[in-house]
Amino acid sequence: MNISKPFLIVVLSIAVLFIHCDKKTTAGSNRVVIGISADVQTFNPLFAFSVDEGSITELLYLGLFDFCWDEETGDLKSYPMLAEEWEWAEDSSSIKIFLRDDVYWTDGKQLTTDDVILSFDLFSDPEVNSRLYGTFSSMYKDENNHIDIKKSFKDISEYELTITFPKNSKPTLNEMSIPILPSHIYGKIKRDELNTSETNFNPVSNGPFKFLRWSRNQNITLTANTKSFLYEPDNINELVFKIIPDYISRTLQLNKGEIDLMELVKTEDIEDMRKNQSLNIVSVVGREYDYIGWNNIDLELFNKENKIKPHKLFGNKNVRIALSHAINNQEILEEYLLNYGEIAVTPVSKIFKKYYNPKIKAYDYNIGKAKKLLAAEDWKDTNNNGILDKNNTEFRFTLYFPSGNPLRNYASTIIKNNLASIGIEMKIVNLEMGSFIDHLYEKKMDAWMAAWYIPIPVELKSYWYSDLEMTPLNFVSYQNKQADDIINELEQKISDKRKKDLYFKFQEIIHNDQPVTFLYWIPNITVYNKRIKNIHITPLGSITHCWEWKISD
Amino acid sequence: MNNKFSKAVIKRLISSLITLFLLISLLFILIRISPGNPAQKFISPELSPEIAQKVAEDFKLNDPLPEQYLSFIGNLIQGDLGISYNYRMPVTLVVWEFLSFTLVIAAISFLVQIIVSYYLAVYTIQKQNKNTDNLISSLSLIFYSTPAFVIGVLLIYLLAVQVDLFPTSGFTSLDYDSLNYFEKLLDKIHHLILPLITLSIAGIALFYRYLRDNLEDIYHQTFIVQLRANGLNENTILRKHVIPNAIGPFISVAGIELGILLGGTLITEVIFSLPGMGRLTIDSILTRDYPLIIGCTFAAGLLMILTNFIADLLKLKIDKRLLRGNVI
Repeated sequence: MNISKPFLIVVLSIAVLFIHCDKKTTAGSNRVVIGISADVQTFNPLFAFSVDEGSITELLYLGLFDFCWDEETGDLKSYPMLAEEWEWAEDSSSIKIFLRDDVYWTDGKQLTTDDVILSFDLFSDPEVNSRLYGTFSSMYKDENNHIDIKKSFKDISEYELTITFPKNSKPTLNEMSIPILPSHIYGKIKRDELNTSETNFNPVSNGPFKFLRWSRNQNITLTANTKSFLYEPDNINELVFKIIPDYISRTLQLNKGEIDLMELVKTEDIEDMRKNQSLNIVSVVGREYDYIGWNNIDLELFNKENKIKPHKLFGNKNVRIALSHAINNQEILEEYLLNYGEIAVTPVSKIFKKYYNPKIKAYDYNIGKAKKLLAAEDWKDTNNNGILDKNNTEFRFTLYFPSGNPLRNYASTIIKNNLASIGIEMKIVNLEMGSFIDHLYEKKMDAWMAAWYIPIPVELKSYWYSDLEMTPLNFVSYQNKQADDIINELEQKISDKRKKDLYFKFQEIIHNDQPVTFLYWIPNITVYNKRIKNIHITPLGSITHCWEWKISD
Repeated sequence: MNNKFSKAVIKRLISSLITLFLLISLLFILIRISPGNPAQKFISPELSPEIAQKVAEDFKLNDPLPEQYLSFIGNLIQGDLGISYNYRMPVTLVVWEFLSFTLVIAAISFLVQIIVSYYLAVYTIQKQNKNTDNLISSLSLIFYSTPAFVIGVLLIYLLAVQVDLFPTSGFTSLDYDSLNYFEKLLDKIHHLILPLITLSIAGIALFYRYLRDNLEDIYHQTFIVQLRANGLNENTILRKHVIPNAIGPFISVAGIELGILLGGTLITEVIFSLPGMGRLTIDSILTRDYPLIIGCTFAAGLLMILTNFIADLLKLKIDKRLLRGNVI
């Protein structure tokens, strides 16, 4: 038989490759592989702007305090981390912090109060442009929002310091729980060069994990920091973040066992994943909701003359309530989200058990009520063309939403049909995300569909405060004096009871005003391999405290 | 002849430089007047509104457009494409990091496409209108018209998930660092087989059809009939007369295809999680990383011009008649 040389070479090469075939899954090792969709750009917590950057740097750099999610109260629960103990002054004007004396940086140096003070200095320095710049509202600051270190900090010893706060401020442990950075490294780098410094990619850290390697756009490997006070030999010793941009590839790898955990699994894939006996599925609802924003004010007038006048279509709250009655969000929830989400009623999530007002019910899908409300506001089809009109203005508008989201494509069609049934004509326009955000800030859209990812603890001012200069995220330009008063009072030192009453009242106001139509809370569905034990998935995320995970095959 | 050749080359070089300059100038203006800006990602309820403003100032986004353009050109002349907003590194370094991977995978894929399509075309032309010819022609149409993501996902499902012969994605194994040199090489080859098939299959089909048609055209020309009448055997006719005449136009297409490959192979990179120019370019566009968009376009444009230039030179080498027309 005459076999050609190239053919032989090809066959032999393939044979060698098959012998080499690495059919390893993660099973059997003490390593956990997490699939993520995009690479990080830094390991420096000063610039960890993305969610994944935040999650990874939190494992490398600990703060003075740490928090877990208390399911019972629906709130953050603080506990010691780098600070072993702390003592508040009776009037909360200062706090004395006692650092642990067994914390070492990965280069062997010991963590001291110098590191703590420099970290606050750097995070608030306008030259650094850190992600926390401008957020230290309870500290002494100069006109550039830079923390006044001399006034704020007093180091008593290497492991003991006091932080003093201005009068009438409302300091919280949360605000002081910034990642602590090594002063012996960061103190030597020019502040305006920190952004591009080599240390961003070669971190000297103090956390339960330390940086091992980074193969750009491939994977990031962290290894257990055996010198950390959090180290337990029985827990996982390696954590790999594998970058897999394609969603289908991520699900295939999860099923195959090449990765152990992925977040944001789509509801339509759940049934298939249930068939895989090695996987656990956890759905957390309450961090992100979809809504339809109705611009409450006349955009043209506001953009031209900075004057406020109600929007000709959506300026009236009864019209907005009618729209909420006309939209069948329950149908979208059942048909598309397969009931994995929940109907959204107000911006305060159910996860905040103390502050969530259960008495408020969503506006039901009721065409009759919607028509009645619109008719009461003089929206009638006077020219019998099938579209409501008032003062020679027909009720037609364009709903914008960012492209690339199949749920919103589906929802927009349902909403269009829903509104058509009450005589409202809606056009649908998809915009590229960057362009969509520009449209939001420039107040170019009358109506849009988008989502809010809500911070913990509850934050209302950014979205619902009337001062449109101060709160650029109030895209719908909602204005209500009573709501403002509540938001202002919530910033004061008040009792828990009063706080709860205020949140309840705020939800009532928002519900009655309906500045937006709240659609549904989107589930964050996490699927992970059952070999991971001691894992607690909460609204804070899937991988928080992952140093406590254990592996059992 | 040499003088004419040099003049033509210099002329082509100058026109290439002008094309490249116009390309990035136009791009510079277009991306700045289009909606969206790099400071958008710094806007969030969890961040202070001042951050976005400060970032915009730092990136000099508030400067007048002509001022930004002049500063950009000034830096460009000194070989400085700026600092990537996302990577916080010089653009040239970022582009090189991703380009080096693309250069390797594109070159291998290109070679595979050329060699396989060449042998298939030469093989089938000798079996004209027979079953093998018809089968390969039909398959080439199917492969050419099937989108890369379908082929990629199908290959992963069959060969990585069902049969478990190949890894589903990535360029290296997680234990890559612990392997010896030979194992590292095998590991990379092992990871690259499915992406290479995905990347090459449509190109093979395209080149095959192009070359096969050219070969057939030449075969039916009268000078071939004359050669046959003169008693030359089929093998000599094919090797000495048909193939050299059919290869010229094929080189032009190959030059363009190589340029496209070097510009990035987005679909394959995304499906197989590979760190190439396609992903880098798209990510830079989505995040409005202006300096990086320019850097990626500059690299892709330069490579496209370069590959076409090389293709033209090759054509010239094969067919000297072209020099008379001053084609390049």
